[in-house]
Amino acid sequence: MSTPIALGAELLGKKYGGRRGGWALRECGFALPAGRICALVGPNGAGKSTLLALAAGLLRPTEGTLTAPAREDLAHVAQAKPLHPRLTVADTLRMGRELNPGRWDDAAALRVVEGGGFSSDTLVHHLSGGQRTRVALALALGKRAGLLLLDEPMADLDPLARHQLMGLLMADAAERGTTVVMSSHILTELEGACDHLMLLAGGRVRLDGAVDDLLAAHTLLRGPVADLAPHTVVDTRTTGRQLTALVRREGPVEGPWETSEPSLEELLLAHLRNPEGAAA
Amino acid sequence: MSTPALKGPAWVTVRQYRRTLWLALAVVVLAFAVIGGLRIWDAQYPDVRTEDGFWQLDPYNSGHHWLEGAMHSFSDCALAIPFAAALFVAGPMVAREFESGTYQLSFTQSVSPTTWLRTKLAVATATALGAVLLLSGAYALGWVRVRDSYSLLRDDVGPYLVLGTVLAAYTLLAVAVGALAGLLIRRTLVAMAATGLFTGVALVVMDAFRWDFLAPVTITGKAVEGASTLMVPEDGRMVDQGLIMADGRREPGWFCYDEGASGACRPEEPVAAQYLDYHPASHILPTQLIETGILLALAALAAFAAFRVLRARHP
Repeated sequence: MSTPIALGAELLGKKYGGRRGGWALRECGFALPAGRICALVGPNGAGKSTLLALAAGLLRPTEGTLTAPAREDLAHVAQAKPLHPRLTVADTLRMGRELNPGRWDDAAALRVVEGGGFSSDTLVHHLSGGQRTRVALALALGKRAGLLLLDEPMADLDPLARHQLMGLLMADAAERGTTVVMSSHILTELEGACDHLMLLAGGRVRLDGAVDDLLAAHTLLRGPVADLAPHTVVDTRTTGRQLTALVRREGPVEGPWETSEPSLEELLLAHLRNPEGAAA
Repeated sequence: MSTPALKGPAWVTVRQYRRTLWLALAVVVLAFAVIGGLRIWDAQYPDVRTEDGFWQLDPYNSGHHWLEGAMHSFSDCALAIPFAAALFVAGPMVAREFESGTYQLSFTQSVSPTTWLRTKLAVATATALGAVLLLSGAYALGWVRVRDSYSLLRDDVGPYLVLGTVLAAYTLLAVAVGALAGLLIRRTLVAMAATGLFTGVALVVMDAFRWDFLAPVTITGKAVEGASTLMVPEDGRMVDQGLIMADGRREPGWFCYDEGASGACRPEEPVAAQYLDYHPASHILPTQLIETGILLALAALAAFAAFRVLRARHP
């Protein structure tokens, strides 16, 4: 009855080595249904990159279990967009074909590289940050993987390129039913593109669910200061006698307040401001 | 390097390091050009036969002089081959992938980290062994003409290393240790330094002990007035020489120096005989094989450890 899980974790934890090493992730549990476009958000050091690296099989979990596709069926673009500097763009794409025999899609890769303003015989070494991002994304899309793990994919791109590549990525994912997990700091870039949200803070999952469900479960209240029980308060601000609060509803909201559904950005900011607050 | 026949990870590895592969080829070509050229120059002046029946160099043959010099340099440079292999594998080939993060790219394609390392080791090994084999050929081409020259004898370190299996074994050890150090250290320069140090230590230690692998052959002779000092038989390698005292004790070194005109040994020392320990030429090959065996065992150990480290860290 339920959709298959593309990426799942139970009590997943990762501790980095060394005497001063701490837990980057702890007791993470989630189940991401296949076909979702998931935004992975959280403050710096929340464990986003660690989670993506674990999902990509680059790291071994310290504890817990992770359910992810095999190496062949996932693509990962690391935050620094690592590429071999001494290969040309054409060689880099050829590398994708050589290392992914039987599944490489040249056309898909070329669509991403096109419009980057560089020729295919340019050495990767000579590309700008945004151009490297294009090549890295081209490698990921050319692999035709069922799960795309993108760590801050749009950070180096100018707004125009970001818009173009995001569109390309979304169209491609929609057409093929690809599951995408995309970490980002830029909330606006996620709104409208993502239908699933995972919020990490302090190495733990604070919020996880379909965007529509999460938005529907929360309410933004404005009105006089009063007891908000039985609702779970995520964030409150008081200006004079005026209260603004984001709550997770427990039953219908009854009281002297003006209510509205929060935007995704309001929801995220409320949770980011209160990392120890109500976990979903 | 044109690589039409290569596929998959091998194509990627060769493509990635093609400039180094070209460089290795250039070194081989240079070695053949220099040694071959000097052989041709040397051949312009045939040896002359002296009246007492010996062959002697033509006094105008400066090509031979240059060939000798080139072979001395070649003997020294041959030692650089294992170092070059060690530094290259440890640094640019393995550690830099971790330092620059490109391992994340390599490990998320459809090939496993094990295949990744195996391919790198295969390309490095094939290149290094090919280079060693060809350079040994160039060396042999020069050596056959200067085999009696000082410090170019069969058991001297240059010919010993290059004309046999030992240099190849050092190079294989260097590749394996380079991979292990690169995986463990993950910092390009530190991994290169550590591997270079290890290779140097291995060469020095082996140089100190290789002639102890086999027991030397001992010859003895009388140590009486007028007896001649024992000489190392032809093509033998001297290990030790001295006197055997009446109580059987060995006194290394030659005690009988001229005291006045008599040339007599010290009369107060009860000398029984003189001895000489040496390795005959027939010991060279077994010694090379033993050294090769030790080096290959270490190389296998290092390669095994490298794969273990890789698998422990990357699923």
